[in-house]
Formats: sequence, structure tokens, C-alpha cells
Amino acid sequence: MRTISVIAAIMLLSIGAQAFCGFYVAKADATLFNHRSQVILVRDGNRTVITMSNDFKGDVRDFAMVVPVPVVLGRNDIRVVNPSLFSMLDSYSAPRMVEYWDAEPCQRYELYDEGVSLDMLNSVASSEAMISMSREDKKYKVTVEARYDVEEYDVLLLSAKESNGLKQWLIHNGYKIPEAAEGVLEPYIKNGMKFFVVKVDMDEIADRNSDYLRPLQIEFESERFMLPIRLGMANADGDQDMLVYAFTRQGRIECTNYRTVKLPTDRNIPSFVKSKNQFGEFYKDLFAKAHEREGRNSVFLEYAWNVTPNFGMKCDPCVGPPPMYQEFVDAGAKWINPSNAGASPIFFTRLHVRYARDEFPQDLFFQVTPNSEQFQGRYIVNNAATGDMSCSGGQNYLQDLEMRRKREVDELAALTGWKDPRYARYIYEFSDQIHEPKRNEGAPFIPWSRGGMTGGLLLLLTAGGYLIYKRRKALTLKTA
Amino acid sequence: MAFSQTLSLKIGFPSLDARYFQILYLGTFLMMGIFVLHWETPIDKVMVVLGSCLLTQCLFIIGGKAHESSWLSALITALGLCLLFRANDQFTLVFASVLSISSKFFFRIRGKHLFNPANVGIIGTLLISQDGWISPGQWGSSIIFLFIMGALGSILLFKVGRLDTTLAFLIGFFILEYCRTVLYMGWTMDVLMHKLSSGSFILFAFFMITDPKTSPDHPRARILWALSIALLTFLLSTWAYIHTAPIWALFLVTPLTAIADLIKKGERFHWEKEKNINPI
Repeated sequence: MRTISVIAAIMLLSIGAQAFCGFYVAKADATLFNHRSQVILVRDGNRTVITMSNDFKGDVRDFAMVVPVPVVLGRNDIRVVNPSLFSMLDSYSAPRMVEYWDAEPCQRYELYDEGVSLDMLNSVASSEAMISMSREDKKYKVTVEARYDVEEYDVLLLSAKESNGLKQWLIHNGYKIPEAAEGVLEPYIKNGMKFFVVKVDMDEIADRNSDYLRPLQIEFESERFMLPIRLGMANADGDQDMLVYAFTRQGRIECTNYRTVKLPTDRNIPSFVKSKNQFGEFYKDLFAKAHEREGRNSVFLEYAWNVTPNFGMKCDPCVGPPPMYQEFVDAGAKWINPSNAGASPIFFTRLHVRYARDEFPQDLFFQVTPNSEQFQGRYIVNNAATGDMSCSGGQNYLQDLEMRRKREVDELAALTGWKDPRYARYIYEFSDQIHEPKRNEGAPFIPWSRGGMTGGLLLLLTAGGYLIYKRRKALTLKTA
Repeated sequence: MAFSQTLSLKIGFPSLDARYFQILYLGTFLMMGIFVLHWETPIDKVMVVLGSCLLTQCLFIIGGKAHESSWLSALITALGLCLLFRANDQFTLVFASVLSISSKFFFRIRGKHLFNPANVGIIGTLLISQDGWISPGQWGSSIIFLFIMGALGSILLFKVGRLDTTLAFLIGFFILEYCRTVLYMGWTMDVLMHKLSSGSFILFAFFMITDPKTSPDHPRARILWALSIALLTFLLSTWAYIHTAPIWALFLVTPLTAIADLIKKGERFHWEKEKNINPI
């Protein structure tokens, strides 16, 4: 009977949702990170659409890209998309700073809002000469499965029998292949992957009168839902950042062979982060610290939300206009019904991964989950009231403000590692206005950190185990 | 047989039912997941799973279908569900919990329940509902967790005498993966080790396939059984790209337990007997 009542009690527990709104003031978008790439993934059943952003900054004649793909793509499976799609999705889903204004304790309150915005690079292989197709292909055991002209790009689909042959073929055809690439090409060949090889069509570039390279989109049917990151590591040293914007019908995507973790979010940070325009730096350092803390081998969730147009609120607050029908279609979400786009379900996940060879030996594999819990990277700035503080409410407010600012500075140090003795000035900014003696705060503040909680629970569990052991011992002795 | 007897050597706290250790370990892993790895497993969902598993088991105890101490097994199943299974809706979790526990009483052959309860609960819910999922990447591949899980798992398995199952599974899978990943495909050894050191994989090897109630009774049959799970896991993950392959492989291979028990009769495992044999 006792067991049943305990069960009834725990079943009643539930966590209440909190909702509040604020003012968006800044975002930490993709442009903050060097050595970065951006990818849009759309997954519906076994159909995958991958859009790769192209921020190549050098001479376009040197541009070339080799991407392992599971099947030979048809001409209609390769497209060029508008680069604004990336900037739109990036600015919409980027981690955000929101701002609140404290109510004036001695008068009526006012509200303000302000907007600030901040402003990514791609590393690729390079080629020099035109691709020639010859009998040499046979010698290298490389088959040119298809060749397409896709706007400003020349696209080749290759299949190979051995990595050395493929490497030699690429070199023979004018591609610069890093030494380390050969060892990585082999597993892809053995796994039956084809190679999507891209270079720039100089005539098209001249016709377009622009040397800006637009993002390439490929589409295929395969059980494999993955991003081959190992090839890109062959010619890179150090960490690389990648942002993944994913669209599915069901819910979030997550990594299946690395941990997908949430960024620290909904934290109160000092208001000087905003006033000194440091949000970009703040987010960079926050990400670096989170990356270190999670063992340098995790994938971070930066945004997750049901963005179905009819769904209602899609962020709190929104950093930009939400993606609509056209953006979904451009990204390759074909299930969106044009006559009833508002009701076609679509879920947006933004992942940020910082990878290096040692910590990320495997390619990134993903799965679509029904997880529809929403998430956003959100950092809160509370601006102090500045009016008359002479009333007793004002005096209490100033004392609370000092406590709050101490916590904000501690939070800032915990999130980014930023420590500066000058932060004391921020904490005690209004201390000269405090005339009343400090009031008794009542119950002492108990630091209830996560570590403390784990320890406490472990202790409880050990104590429970010990009690059971004692009881069993007593019982056995009795029977004996 | 001799090997298995050696493995069955009881170490430490001999009077305690091995299930207490299992509960302690699984509970610790769950807390590690929630507080150290920051899983999205809210306490209310953990409570729902624990509550519905215990309540279902309680009903079977009252109905005279189960031994009084079987609530320990229900708690293990509940912790297993919390560690492996995720769902948006609490009702999905209730469904998985009720299915897990009742499967023990509905799928029975010769007085032994056929499927691992958490395994059948998860597979059944995944097939019926669109709301649940497994996060195979949730443990990452950190060596520290691997070490803790392996060490704690070995202590437990020594006590229950099922370390042979784990070793056969791990060695079998390692050989298959080594041949494909390293010898055939040409990946370096660290790619293979990253795959094998996944926390979910280790947890499965030490805590799920070793369930003494649902693995074959005879040690040699058990080793063959574990090897066939390893083979099927390898096939499903390599050619069908199923990231949760071990769970499906266990489910599909489990019916073989009944056949194995028919052909090779071994000593039947009883949690209750286990503790009576070893009074202080």
C-alpha cells in the first residue's frame, strides 16, 4: 500500500512552463567564426537535400570542391540557390541577446528597445586546369559517371576503384589534392560512395559579370543521413566551425555518433556586454568555453523550433523575419503544400559543430527524431532603473541590484571566462546612493549548483543502499 | 562450463541480491546523464516511467503473478527505459512502461519470460507510436564513462555470472567491425575505437544483453546467442544504417533463447534463489 501511495505522489509532479518576452538587441551570427562552413540539410524519409554555402574568397579559377555522395546524381538533382537563403536562416536562428528595463521603483516605468546587429569562410580544395576526359581515366580506374554544366559550375560525378587512382586522376586533371587526402578517399570508395567534383566554369562567370559563387544544392535518395567531414579535414589544420540548418517534417535532428548538447541559455549577463557592443565577442568566448567543457567532441544545439507558418510564435524574441514558404522550397522541403503552406509541418534545427581531426574521427551521422521541444540560445540583459531612489522601495531596489549584478558578473565568468577587477565598478555603480543600512536578507543563500545536486543525490542513493544492506543483514541473521 | 563457474564467483556483499547493485549503477548512470551530460530528461518524465513501471508490477504482484521482490526487476526496467528511451508525450512513456512490464507476463515460454522487458517496451512503442526515439549519441565516446560503465558492469556480471555474454558480444562485434572498418575500408584504428567506445553501445553490452532471465541458460548456447546478436548488430548498422542496431538485434535474436533452452538445458537463473544460496 505504501508503494502505491508513493507512486501516486510522484506521478503528480510536473514542471510548469515559463513564458516571458523581451527585446531582441543583438545576434551572434555565423560571420563571427573563421574557418567556417554552412550547410542546409533537408531530410524527408530517405530523401536528403544538402545545400552547401560557398564563401570562397580567392580567385574563382582556384576553386574546386570534392564531396563524397552515396549515389550518382542526375542533372535535376543539382541546383544553384540564392545565397541570401543562408544569411536569412543564419540571422533568424542565431543566438540572441534580449534586453529588459527594470521598473523605476519610485515612479511609473517605461520600456525601450534597441537593435544591434553583427555580421562566415569556407575552406576548399583548389584546381587550376580544365578537366580533360581521356583514356587515362581507365588507367586510374576512375569512371566519369556524369558531367553537367550547372550555371557557373562544371560538375563531374566520379566513381573510383582505388584511392591512389582517384588521387592521381584528380592531380592529372589539375586538382590540387592534399597529401593526407588519399588515406581518407579510400574508405569512401570502399563504401561505394561517388565523388561530386565541382569547379568553376569561367565563361559562365564572365557572362554573369560577377565572380561571386552561389551555393550548390544536391538532392538524393539514401538511407545514409550524414555529412562527410573527414575529407575536409585533410587540408585543414586546427578547428573548423560548421553550422547546420536542418528542416524535417517531424522534429529535431540530432547527431547519432557524437553528443548533441544544448548551449547554456537563458542566462542573465551584465548590461555592459550590450552597451560596449560585446555580444559577438561574448558569444564567441561562450561557445569556445562550452566546446572545451563538453570535451571538444560535441555538437551544439543553437536553435530548434516548429517553424510551420501557422504554428504561432517561433522565437522569443525573434531576431529576424521567420523563413516562409519560399525559403522552405528553396532549401528543398518539397512536402510543403503550396495551396496550404501554412499548415505543412516543418521543424527547424540549427546545430553548431567545431571539429578537429583528433576529436572527430568519424563523419557526422544524423537522425531525425520526433523531439519537438523548442530551444534557442538566449542571453538576457537587465538595465537598471536610473530615476529617483530616495524612497524605501528605491533603497531596497539598489541593494537587490548589487546582489543581482554580482550574480551577473559570476555568470559572465562562468560562461566566458571573462574576469576583470573593473567589473566591481559595474556591481557597485549605485552604491553611493544607498543611504539605508543593509537590510537582513533572511535565509542565507545556498549555492545550489548542478554539481552539488549530483553529489547530494549520490549521497542519498548511497545512504539508501546502506540502509537496505543493513536491513537484509539483520533479516538474514534472524533467520539463521 | 568451468569458465562460466569461475566467472560466477561472488565478490563482495555476498548476501545482497545482485539487482541492488544493478539499480545503484543504473541510477548513477541516469544521474550522470542528467546532471553531468545535461540530457533532456526532465525529472517529471523519470518519475512517470518509474511510477508506471512500479505500479504495473505492483498489480501483477497483487494478482499473484509475480514474486514479492520482483519490484526490483521493475525498477531496473524503469531505469533502463529512462536511460534509453525518449518521448515528447508522457503517455508514450506510460505506454512503453506498461508494455515493458506486462510483456514479462504475456510472452512466456516454459515459465521463463521471453523478451528483455525494456527492449520489448522500446521496440513496441517505436513501432506503434511516432512519438518516441532513442538517442544513440547521448553518451558520447568519452573514455571516463566507458571506464566507469565497464568497471561497474564487470562487477555486476561477475556476481550474476553473465560476463561471458558481454565478452562474446564485444569480441564478436570487434572482430567484425575491425575486418570491415580497418582492414577492408582502410579507416585508422581511432575511427573503430570511436564507434566501439560509444556509451550507448557499452551500456547495452554490459547491462542489457546480460539479463539472466532472457538469455539462454546454457553457457555455450549463451555465447552463440551473444555472437548472433553481434553479427546482426553489425549487419543492421553497416548495411541498413540503423543507428540503434543493437536494440533491434537483441529483439530479433531473443526468440532464439527459447530454442536454445530446448536444445541445451542449463541451470535456470533465479534472482530469489541467488540470495538464498548465499547467506552470511
